[in-house]
Amino acid sequence: MTSVDETRHEAREGASGPLLTMEGIRKTFGSVVALDGVDLTVGRSEVHGLLGGNGAGKTTLMNVLYGLYRPDGGSVVLDGSPVEIRDPRDAISHGIGMVHQNFLQVDTYTVTENVVLGTSLPSWPTVDLKEPAARIAELSERFGLTVDPGARVANLSVGLRQRVEILKALYRGAKVLVLDEPTTNLTPQEVDSLFGSLRAIVDEGMSVVFITHKIRETMAVCDALTVMRDGTRVGTVRRADTSAAELATLMVGDDAAVGRVTEVVTAGMGAAAGTAATGETARDLGDVPARVAVRDLVVLGDHGVPATHDVSFEVRRGEIVGIAGVAGNGQVELAEAVAGVRTLEGGSVDVDGQPLAGRPTAVWLESGVAYVPEDRHRDGILPSASIMENLVLGAQRSVRFRKGPFVDWSAARRHAEEAIRTYSVKASGPSAPAAALSGGNMQRVILARAFSHRPGFLILHNPTRGLDIPSTQFVYDRVREAAAEHSAVLLMSEDLDELTHLCDRVLVLYSGRVVGERTRGHYDQYELGHLMAGLEDTA
Amino acid sequence: MNEAVSFLQLVVTAMVPFILAAQGTMLAGRAGVFNVAQEGVMMLGASVGFLVSLKMGGNPVGLVFAALVGAAFGWFLGWVTTRFRLDQFVIGLALFFAATGIASLLYKVVIGVTLKPPLIETLPDIEIPLLSSIPGVGTVLFTQDAMVYFAFLVSGLLYWMLYRTNLGLKLRSVGENPKAADSLGVSVARTRIWCSTAGGALMALAGAYLPMTYTGTYTEGIVAGRGWLAIALAFFGGWRPQYILAGSAFFAGMEVLALRVQVGGVDIPHQFISMLPYAATLLVMMFALRWASVPAFLGRNYDRESRH
Amino acid sequence: MTTTATPPTTTTPVKPAARRGAGLTRSVLSYALAVLLAFVVSGIVIAALGHSPVEAFRAILTTSFKSSFGFIETVQKWVPLVLLTLAFTIPLAAGKYNIGGEGQLLVGATAAAAVGITMKDAPMVVLLPLVLLVGVLAGGVYAWIAAWLMDRFGVNEILSTVLLNFVSFGIVDYVASEVWSDPAAGHPTTVPIGDGGLLPLVGTPPMHTGVLLALLVSAATVVVMRRTVPGYELRAVGTNPRAAQVHGVRIGRVAVGSLVVGGALAGFAGAIEVAGVHGKLIEGMQSNYLLLGIIIGLIARGNALAVPFVAFGIAVLEVGASAMQRTADVPSEMVLIVEALTLLFLLFSDVVGARLRRSSR
Repeated sequence: MTSVDETRHEAREGASGPLLTMEGIRKTFGSVVALDGVDLTVGRSEVHGLLGGNGAGKTTLMNVLYGLYRPDGGSVVLDGSPVEIRDPRDAISHGIGMVHQNFLQVDTYTVTENVVLGTSLPSWPTVDLKEPAARIAELSERFGLTVDPGARVANLSVGLRQRVEILKALYRGAKVLVLDEPTTNLTPQEVDSLFGSLRAIVDEGMSVVFITHKIRETMAVCDALTVMRDGTRVGTVRRADTSAAELATLMVGDDAAVGRVTEVVTAGMGAAAGTAATGETARDLGDVPARVAVRDLVVLGDHGVPATHDVSFEVRRGEIVGIAGVAGNGQVELAEAVAGVRTLEGGSVDVDGQPLAGRPTAVWLESGVAYVPEDRHRDGILPSASIMENLVLGAQRSVRFRKGPFVDWSAARRHAEEAIRTYSVKASGPSAPAAALSGGNMQRVILARAFSHRPGFLILHNPTRGLDIPSTQFVYDRVREAAAEHSAVLLMSEDLDELTHLCDRVLVLYSGRVVGERTRGHYDQYELGHLMAGLEDTA
Repeated sequence: MNEAVSFLQLVVTAMVPFILAAQGTMLAGRAGVFNVAQEGVMMLGASVGFLVSLKMGGNPVGLVFAALVGAAFGWFLGWVTTRFRLDQFVIGLALFFAATGIASLLYKVVIGVTLKPPLIETLPDIEIPLLSSIPGVGTVLFTQDAMVYFAFLVSGLLYWMLYRTNLGLKLRSVGENPKAADSLGVSVARTRIWCSTAGGALMALAGAYLPMTYTGTYTEGIVAGRGWLAIALAFFGGWRPQYILAGSAFFAGMEVLALRVQVGGVDIPHQFISMLPYAATLLVMMFALRWASVPAFLGRNYDRESRH
Repeated sequence: MTTTATPPTTTTPVKPAARRGAGLTRSVLSYALAVLLAFVVSGIVIAALGHSPVEAFRAILTTSFKSSFGFIETVQKWVPLVLLTLAFTIPLAAGKYNIGGEGQLLVGATAAAAVGITMKDAPMVVLLPLVLLVGVLAGGVYAWIAAWLMDRFGVNEILSTVLLNFVSFGIVDYVASEVWSDPAAGHPTTVPIGDGGLLPLVGTPPMHTGVLLALLVSAATVVVMRRTVPGYELRAVGTNPRAAQVHGVRIGRVAVGSLVVGGALAGFAGAIEVAGVHGKLIEGMQSNYLLLGIIIGLIARGNALAVPFVAFGIAVLEVGASAMQRTADVPSEMVLIVEALTLLFLLFSDVVGARLRRSSR
């Protein structure tokens, strides 16, 4: 196992040639080809961006590098010598570290325990963590990743937990540090801090592979970029030699989409401070009454502590209201509360004049509330059931699918066939099991379920997470359609670009409180980031 | 005073099957394997331990064989659930049936039907020098048979191993977040299989102890639900060896109390007294979960290439 | 076997009937294979023990069909088996494990006997329905205790249902030894229930009409599980309780309800045993029905349609077990080994099948 200092020493010695070369990597899952002969070359002391939409194969490629997946073909050369990586242990011993999107930490352990897990430690008569803790503190200082080694990770914020993940890799003397979508849950200010740490890491001789789907980020921090699409590498450029537009074209490809370069990618290219993402001005909704009124909402989190405090807002007919915020500030609890899934501790929620607080979830659904949850596998799908059975979920007691005590399966089948057609679900039919669907198609089924009954109040939480570009566009189109049909739409997202693009108004949630509001035409990402970080509203 | 001392001494003896079976459950559980076959494995342990002791010379040999059989069952559960990812409860129940069936089958084959059931020698008490002379405590804690000391020793060892060594840190991480453990090079499958195997051995030893204490006989009903109670004890002890040790005193106390009251001819029908341990356990379980730190991945199988 | 048209990648659905046909053939094949392997392995063990496997198997498999008495015995044994299996599989569909079938059966039997004995002079029109009803209710209530502990305190239901089994043994012992004890019997047994409480018999040799009731219940279970709203909600909870809850299903109620229904069916089995087979409450009447019920449930993979058939197969084996012990001198426990092996081989065939399917795509 190398140490950080050894790597630095090697860099100073002037070792030449690329640090990492992956050649011809193939990986299939059953009949799906996830990687089709991909090449990747990472230089020394370089931040190398791996850019592409969701489903392009970026994470899969890095999982192969880290030994979580065994490739079906191809080779890896690290620092001049070919290596075989059969499992994460091999990867770690060769100096590869990975920070995953979902942090791999044991909640009940401290920072130190999480960082040293799996390393050999002096253990007689009892395990001694003093020396490791000191080394962790030193690494934190050096790279700007300050965190308390004795804190239990369950009590830390997302940004701090990410630092722990990075420290895990640095502690093991990583030569190559891979970060998978690291900015997903960070405020713009935290992103800047992360980028600073990355430059410090790279200055010491290590290299970083930075997986993202956001062009703006790659332009900000990467030295070189490899663009992937549909499991293949479509181009490698140096940042200085390229532009956001060129990257967008590479990402999306030369087919039909390029003509109307999708708003998704445009959104990712980002706005300069002060202008709205697409230059649209606020829509004129007219003088319509509120369809949804939320007042003084107080909801408890999973540990009995209030997750929201006196949240109040309204959503009018045909309006799209966004809630911005870093994960962990009460979004999930708020979404579940206004969807009728989580009981209210205080306050009220009225939909179309009907007070719904305290009523069972089924009543909320009957009143026209539809919820597209963030975690679609856990909350949205019955995996072993067919598409048809999944579409009935939530509506099994309504007259649409019920004949007395019996389920009207023929009506359900007809509905499913129509939904598959309308929502372009790639499946063999209504009887196909939901578990076999890809992420994008699963989300289409969930949307079909939510939208097809003309909901009065539609709640979406991170609806495009993990979706490829066409599916993301599909979601945006459906959301606009619902608003056009007078639904009241509440969109919670961690993607500021998405919010500023779709919403008429954006509220910022911080620590369970609404700390600011901006309307279309006055969106400023840095201001929103300011509010998301809990700083004072200077508007 | 003498009454109380002999009562407590009996309780400590009665604690042994509970301690061993529950610690075995806990050890496997800490790696994420929820073994529900205890009752069957204990029965098989009792049967094998008794028969081997009878036919092959002595209790120590019987204990060893019982442990090996228990280890085999534990290994099977661990291996099948990690390699093939079959449901842990289903396999556990299937093993429970198989062990129960094999236990009676073995006895029938070896002993057959006899008028006078055979006996083995019970384990002798070993007096710990000096400590056993302490009045009261000396008799209760330091004048016991070898398995009692073993049970206490195992509990202490497990505590030290799980919470004071690097091995324990890695082991527990497998039960809390196997994906994290795997990503750092800890072998999830190997940890689970080792823990399940060792856990099975402890469970069988718990069963083997039963014919070797009290009466020296084996009957079909000898385990009498202690295997299931061991699961309750694991929860009751918050899945931690030190509290399981302490909690076993409660279960053993109930058991001995029920015996004493029956013999003493108290005016409650003996059937209700015999229900007492089970009913009391149910009552206790109502509150046990408040303080249990159940391993997060208990009972769930792990798939490295799972895309979720 | 019909071939199905290769579906294009978008929306033309595959003919469902053809699909179902292919799946059925495959599962029957895997069952047959598992049973075969189980017999082969058991045959080796029997031979190793020094007995004739052929004689043993002949006894096991043919006893039920050699005489009409054998057949009636098998069919009457089928009743508690199928009901106890459903008592396990209905909660299983909701993801809950009811291991308390025998306690629920015994409590149902106790209640049925209690009514049958205290009202022994009542006419059949009144007494019989009452006896059966009380058994159903008592079994349901007994299961509700465990269900309530699960819902309110999070107590693992495997644990609570099993503990309640042990409690029920004490109850039966008390009732059969103290309350309505029959002093002439050498074993804790109650006095017989009134004639009005006995199930009428049909046919020669006579079979109790409880068999017809059990058939009805099995058929009703299939319909409810597949075609009704409660059945749908039950299965949704078993598949993904969290998603079901988010979409308005009251998962606590469904889980509790499934356990209560399971207990009610087990209690029904107990009442039928009292009213149709024994005419009284006997300690130990629960036999090994719980064990077998769970095995049947697992072999049938919880499928309500397969349950009655698998239960019949097991009933045949069980009736043959004592015959095997008599004629071939093989301990009757061997049958349990055969049954457990069948289950294990079936589980393995699932794994093998899944792997084959994955690699052939």
